[in-house]
Amino acid sequence: MHLDDAAAVALAARGDEDAFRVLVERHSRSVFRLAFRMTGTAEDAEDVVQETFVRAYRQLARFESRSNFATWLYRIGFNCAIDHLRSRNDKETNPAPEVLDRLAPAVTGPTSEDLVFAGQIGARVQQALNGLSEQERAAFLMRHYHGCSIEEICGALGLKTNAAKHSIFRAVKKMRTELQPLVRMRMEGL
Amino acid sequence: MDRPHPTDDELIEHFCGDATPSARERIETHMRECAQCQRAWDDVAAALTMVNDAVPEPPDGFERVVWARVRQAIELEPRRSIWTWRAIVPAGALAAAVIALVMTSRGNHVWAPVVDTTVADAARANLKQNERVLFTALDEHFQQTEALLVELRNAPDKDGLELERVTADDLVAAGRLYRQTAEYTGHEGLVRMLDDLEPVLVEVARGSTQMAGRDRQWLRTRIEDDNLLFKVRAANYDVRERAAHND
Repeated sequence: MHLDDAAAVALAARGDEDAFRVLVERHSRSVFRLAFRMTGTAEDAEDVVQETFVRAYRQLARFESRSNFATWLYRIGFNCAIDHLRSRNDKETNPAPEVLDRLAPAVTGPTSEDLVFAGQIGARVQQALNGLSEQERAAFLMRHYHGCSIEEICGALGLKTNAAKHSIFRAVKKMRTELQPLVRMRMEGL
Repeated sequence: MDRPHPTDDELIEHFCGDATPSARERIETHMRECAQCQRAWDDVAAALTMVNDAVPEPPDGFERVVWARVRQAIELEPRRSIWTWRAIVPAGALAAAVIALVMTSRGNHVWAPVVDTTVADAARANLKQNERVLFTALDEHFQQTEALLVELRNAPDKDGLELERVTADDLVAAGRLYRQTAEYTGHEGLVRMLDDLEPVLVEVARGSTQMAGRDRQWLRTRIEDDNLLFKVRAANYDVRERAAHND
């Protein structure tokens, strides 16, 4: 029997474990993609996915049925990812995002040898994402990769319309600037 | 071309699909005549595509593993939240008891000639029950192993590994007994899983409590490259399912 999200949430909120399992299995990959973009590693993303669904389970009673479950879940996912990043930064000696951001201009752009390694692209993308503020990153990812409307982003992040739009503008500009050398090389077939 | 170039914000707003119809038409008309703006548009599109391409696809079975972890976290949250290494029951002692139980059951009831249906049914029921004990014990074993791997992956180099070393030693001993039993009972997947884990556990158990940075890096690389955490979680999910189906 196919359960849509609203029906599954209603059943899960009444303690139906199978209904919650449907939600977990249906949305775990998209939450993983979101978590990976936020954290940059598969291991961290897996932890964020788990924490996201655990928090969602605890908060099911607060979910409003007229809302979009996926958007509501993404908001929880973003918060979990941010908490995870803060906790990781506290524990590790890795440079904080703002440090990476300061280092970025010193990078003169990848050479053609760099592109031999596909991982370089992933690393550069992650460095670019790390250079965004939490708010910029959340708004940007929700808009571009999870199809959320400006209104949904405002609701999820507690922003006014203009603030949400400007967060996205700034994020896209930064991503474009940061990734332009790779984009050029890809376009020119180097 | 008389009209001014659209600003970056206008271009991005249009790219996001949030521009008003009149702004959209104005920008599109402009771009048809302006190579510079068309190029800016292409750059934005290419950069955003690149972000999308950089995300790996989770492995097959990912959804099942997530569900297993979530269900466990929901069910066991209070216990997990006060998890400490010192609270772990010595794994070797538990393993020995489980192995003795399973081996005895198998030896007495399954491989012995069966002449009576009632006895055979009782033997099967007994084996099933004892296999469930094995799976439950492996569930605990894999949980402890997962916790240890996470600790090893995240522990700062300056921290000692006294506790991890003791735990790993215990897990090596228990793992060998479980491996023997899994092989004996024909659970080849579990045998392979335990084989994969052993080198890392041995390295910790036999290593110095102040393991050098290079050795720690080897451990982390092994954990990451072999995807050990994911495999342990998947194996844990499987044994839990098997235990449930044995009910």
